[in-house]
Amino acid sequence: MTQTLFRLFRLSLLTLAACGLCASVAQAETGKLLLTGGVSSIDGAAGGGLTPWAVIGSNATEGQVGGTAALTRVSTQDYGLTVASAALGWHDRVELSLARQDFGASPAYQLNGIAPFGVAPDAHIKLDIIGLKVRVAGEAVLDSDRWMPQIAVGLEHKRVRPGSIGSVLDFLGSKREGTDLYVSATKLLLGQGLLLNATLRSTKANQNGLLGFGSGTPGKNGRSLQPEFSAACLLSSQFAVGAEYRFKPNKLEALGAAAGLGPALREDDWKDIFVAWAPTKHFSLTLAYVDLGRIVPGITASRRQTGGYLSAQVTF
Amino acid sequence: MKTLLPSAVLLALMSTGMAGAQTPGLPPQAPAAGPPRNIEVSATQTSALYVALGEKAGIAALVNDFVDHVREDPLIGVMFQHIKPAHLKGQLGDKICVAVGGPCVYDGETMKGAHTDLKIDRVRFNAMVEVLQASMRRQNIAFSTQNQLLAMLAPMHRDIITVR
Repeated sequence: MTQTLFRLFRLSLLTLAACGLCASVAQAETGKLLLTGGVSSIDGAAGGGLTPWAVIGSNATEGQVGGTAALTRVSTQDYGLTVASAALGWHDRVELSLARQDFGASPAYQLNGIAPFGVAPDAHIKLDIIGLKVRVAGEAVLDSDRWMPQIAVGLEHKRVRPGSIGSVLDFLGSKREGTDLYVSATKLLLGQGLLLNATLRSTKANQNGLLGFGSGTPGKNGRSLQPEFSAACLLSSQFAVGAEYRFKPNKLEALGAAAGLGPALREDDWKDIFVAWAPTKHFSLTLAYVDLGRIVPGITASRRQTGGYLSAQVTF
Repeated sequence: MKTLLPSAVLLALMSTGMAGAQTPGLPPQAPAAGPPRNIEVSATQTSALYVALGEKAGIAALVNDFVDHVREDPLIGVMFQHIKPAHLKGQLGDKICVAVGGPCVYDGETMKGAHTDLKIDRVRFNAMVEVLQASMRRQNIAFSTQNQLLAMLAPMHRDIITVR
């Protein structure tokens, strides 16, 4: 179902691009002010690199339809992540997004030493995400005389395809599908050129979904609420710098400990500092330093996964 | 952004009000009310933002650049064609001066009154902001000062945008 939707979505985006957003749909040429549509997060929703914001993606403003497409690459000590994503923004009110993540998990091969999991060398975990976001209240940019932020609610339905790591997920008792629910509040303090966002996410995902959803441990299978924060400083009409912090659940560590593996399955918070560059309304580049904490530290000698993040987005 | 009625029309409206409604045999009545006169005076005399914009001369140069370019804009230029540029520049200059705490008086129409029938949507409003941003860049106004001015003017969107 996800596959078909993804193909349909990609096809419709290409068609829109090809006919230059035909007459029946208002052109998103002027539309939003620069950088106020956020960038594509790794889950596909518009926001910061790691977390969704209350802004609706693309250049489209009220009465318009617009889209974005992005390619993102994250590389840390032991892992790599490539993300292809696209989003459609409708009337600055509704956002539909798709993301396809490809996580290089070559250290997972070592898990075969613990049990006959049958993990292949250079294993990859795929994660598909469909996102829907609706702006429900507020105006992030123009209500500069009010404290009220722009508020949106959203969901990210995720399906993981773990390949040969599937047996590990079975051992964890984690499911292959799950839906994150979130509410975001975004405010641009226009006079100060400062954008602030707070997101509250309800999730069962382990490592954002890469290690499935929920766990077999009693008491560790439920949803938890995780706050996420972003702050960005507009340095010029083309540049913004900022930082993000994403609190994460840690549902698998207990299971690993019970299996005699100690803190091998510990999960940490994610954070980054970034710089975004938008030379035109149609293209932006984001460079970040990320700290993804420990990801299955048992197979990475407890190294913190830090490294670079690069994302290129086209917007129309 | 069309902000004000041409002065001739405004004068005509005011004159009608001032003529009064005096009926013979009855005690003289107070002059009938004309359209509400909107006079705005800034609370503080010289603010940092007013100085940063180059005071009266700086604001005049900015407004001059803005009006000249907005009249040529392919999307919204048509809305400005029937207003005398010199008049618009004068009134806009006063409006901005008051908004940023300069020593000015703005006696034009309210934002709401001036824009009711223009059917301005968010697309056109954003386009106008972009013309203003381009003018500020050409006038070498510092980015932080630009944002402070925008922060003063942005709330006017509630009165100016009538198509949602």
